[in-house]
Amino acid sequence: MLQYAAKRLLLSIVIVAVAVTLLFCMIFLVPGDPAAIALGPRATPELKEALRARMGLDQPVPIQLLRFFGNILQGDLGLDVWSNRPVSVIVFEVLPHTLWLVLLGIGWPVLVGVPLGCYAAVRRNSFADKVTGVLSVGVIAVPAFVVAVYSLLIFAVALRWFPAIGAGEPGDFGSQLYHLVLPAFAIGLGWVGYLARLVRASMLEVLGENHIRTARAYGLPERTIVFRYALKVAILPTVALVGISIGSLLSSAVFAEIVFARPGIGKLIYDAVITRNYPVVMGAVLVTTSLLVLATLIADLVAASLDPRIRESL
Amino acid sequence: MEWFGITRRGLLKGASALGLGAAVAPRLAWSQDSKVLRVRSYSDLQVLDPAFYLSAPEGDIMRCLYPRLVEYQAGETWGWKKNAAAEIEQTDATHIKFTLRPGIMFSNGFGEMTAEDVKFSFERVADPAVESPYKDDFAVLDRVEVTDTHSGVIVLTEPFAPLWSTTLPNKSAAIVSKKAVESVGGRFEAEPPATSGPYMIKEWVPKQRLALVRNPDWNGERPDFEEIHILPIEDEKTAEIAFEAGELDYTAISVSSIPQYESDPPAEATLIRRPSLAYVWLGMNVDAEPFTDPRVRRAIQHAIDVETVVDAAYFGVAERSTGIIAPGLAGHRERTLYQDKPDLEKARALLQEAGFPNGFSCTIDILNKTERLTAAQIIQANLAQIGVQVEIQQHDSGTFWTLGAESEGDQWKNVQLMLNRFSMSPDPSWATAWFTPEQVGVWNWERFDSPEFGELHKQALVETDEAKRDVLYRKMQDLMEESGAYVFLTHESNAVIHRNAIVPALQPDATVILPEFRRA
Repeated sequence: MLQYAAKRLLLSIVIVAVAVTLLFCMIFLVPGDPAAIALGPRATPELKEALRARMGLDQPVPIQLLRFFGNILQGDLGLDVWSNRPVSVIVFEVLPHTLWLVLLGIGWPVLVGVPLGCYAAVRRNSFADKVTGVLSVGVIAVPAFVVAVYSLLIFAVALRWFPAIGAGEPGDFGSQLYHLVLPAFAIGLGWVGYLARLVRASMLEVLGENHIRTARAYGLPERTIVFRYALKVAILPTVALVGISIGSLLSSAVFAEIVFARPGIGKLIYDAVITRNYPVVMGAVLVTTSLLVLATLIADLVAASLDPRIRESL
Repeated sequence: MEWFGITRRGLLKGASALGLGAAVAPRLAWSQDSKVLRVRSYSDLQVLDPAFYLSAPEGDIMRCLYPRLVEYQAGETWGWKKNAAAEIEQTDATHIKFTLRPGIMFSNGFGEMTAEDVKFSFERVADPAVESPYKDDFAVLDRVEVTDTHSGVIVLTEPFAPLWSTTLPNKSAAIVSKKAVESVGGRFEAEPPATSGPYMIKEWVPKQRLALVRNPDWNGERPDFEEIHILPIEDEKTAEIAFEAGELDYTAISVSSIPQYESDPPAEATLIRRPSLAYVWLGMNVDAEPFTDPRVRRAIQHAIDVETVVDAAYFGVAERSTGIIAPGLAGHRERTLYQDKPDLEKARALLQEAGFPNGFSCTIDILNKTERLTAAQIIQANLAQIGVQVEIQQHDSGTFWTLGAESEGDQWKNVQLMLNRFSMSPDPSWATAWFTPEQVGVWNWERFDSPEFGELHKQALVETDEAKRDVLYRKMQDLMEESGAYVFLTHESNAVIHRNAIVPALQPDATVILPEFRRA
């Protein structure tokens, strides 16, 4: 298991390095002069040139890339071009908000979707199974931004049960959790459907296997059969999906951050790309790519711990 | 029925409890605290140094933090009033005497504001070595002479008409503490070393909130609100929802929401609509084929139905414009020369004469905004009627704002039609400055190269007689229109919504004056 973990970690580092290098090259293909954007129409060519030099844009791209990686190794993500604040400070100011949003955005669908899938599988072809199936497909089909807007209009504007905007009072966990309810609901609702369908299909497959029939023949309680023998196997695809879902949820977080006016890394990257604030783009993408790779790594390790065959496959 | 130990009755009980809990849940912690004003800004602050600020919302914040000698007054006509100045007077065309109000104190122990601070603040922005993007605001500043602790004389190199309308009341003329700025190395970003305005910074949570608190040492007009919370909300629609949810007291709203809010405003709220100073136009690159031929340009001018374009793009809430200078400013024209009504017959005849009896194909570059796309689509339909096929090319802001710049390579040669919008300050020189021959390939993307226009612009900058300036600026817009390179569309419309519990203070273009907001 340790050797497997070491191999996966090495692979993860390579993935991050390749992804960041690709992005670094891509942003130089994008038209638009960051100095002109920052300084506005009244800037003289000399001013623009000075700012380009300050941003290091006067150097060849390979040199800039080498500098970037050199700085990363020293823990330096550079400075925000406009505010001169360290990129690491800016990124880590907003990162917790995104992390909480993503964790809750996938956490509650796991808590709801997995039992729902189990229930539907155990009660196969019952009325409840059919209702669950229709609801699951229904919530998958509704785009998350539609859920976001309607939940805002209903729960924030009409009923005023939840706040419409912001991330809550700094330092007040309760307030921050309260402000997370609607965004997490919006980005997570579709995942309830996905997970319910996935768990149901997986459970049905496992419940038909010989060892389950044997367990039933021994007269074991249904709860033990479902949770101890069936779900442990059936959950494997779900674990893998949850790992991958982090990437998708990070994308969904961008619109949630815009619609709910929350701070977050998605919006930070979006704004930085629009304003060609390259140090922030690179720093934030490095962090999100690392997060995504880390989540996949954890999912793989969990799956490997549940199924020894996976450990042997790498 | 029982499943995994949960009975149906148990489930129903739980659901009922949840529902009841939700129904009686606190109707949110945002019960109105009338001592706190909550407003939206479209971006978070980054730089609060008056010599280097980046955005208009930073200007609104700086207005709370730093006094200026004079300040724009609230209302529907442009004007200024004294702010840090107890006395201020133009003694001749190039000399302005001022005396500061005594007792304006800088925070953090940097002492009283003096004429030295005024001298430092103005000369710092003007100094080329400082590299302030706003140095042109003080382009004609020769020096500031300090005569005593609170008095001095601003000396100009030549007369400068916009001095009172856009230089002295503007953000870059904010007075900072010489000692404080020097103590941090000559410039600063988001954390001012000292402030002296009606409010001071209580707390800044990046990307979430800026809390300003009343400055107890401020000896000017006392602000009514104890605190102002400025919430960065980029999306206008989100801000509108936040307003309706009771989380904002004041916000600007999107053009598309104006008709809805006018007919059905939220309870206890009022909508205010003001004309904007911005100007939107269709430009033609006179150095790109086939627009090198003035007859083709004139044909385009005659083919476009400006009323329809503006009505469709701005939901019927914006007026068509007659030039680049908005109503209320010197130089505003009451009518255009050629564009009152579309004349398709004349347009077709001009194209025939220019050798395009069957029309031609071209592109229009626009920013990826809804109203620009709508406008471009109407223009596309208008021009199709005379055989001109237009392909719409949308760009993000980073790309769009480099399209016509020679410094970005040869891409300007591919720009044919463009839909553009510039914002401006309340002096006509801010509109004409971008269309001079020196600006060709910089911001003059139509490459309209009129030496006469350039001369008139210079002449109007030093002309202090308002009536004469009016004539000069009208003539300049006539020249632009005669070139055929421009179809003037609109000045847009600014709209804001506020709770009836507050009385907002706004400039004529709806720019906020936060320290002057009052409780009703």
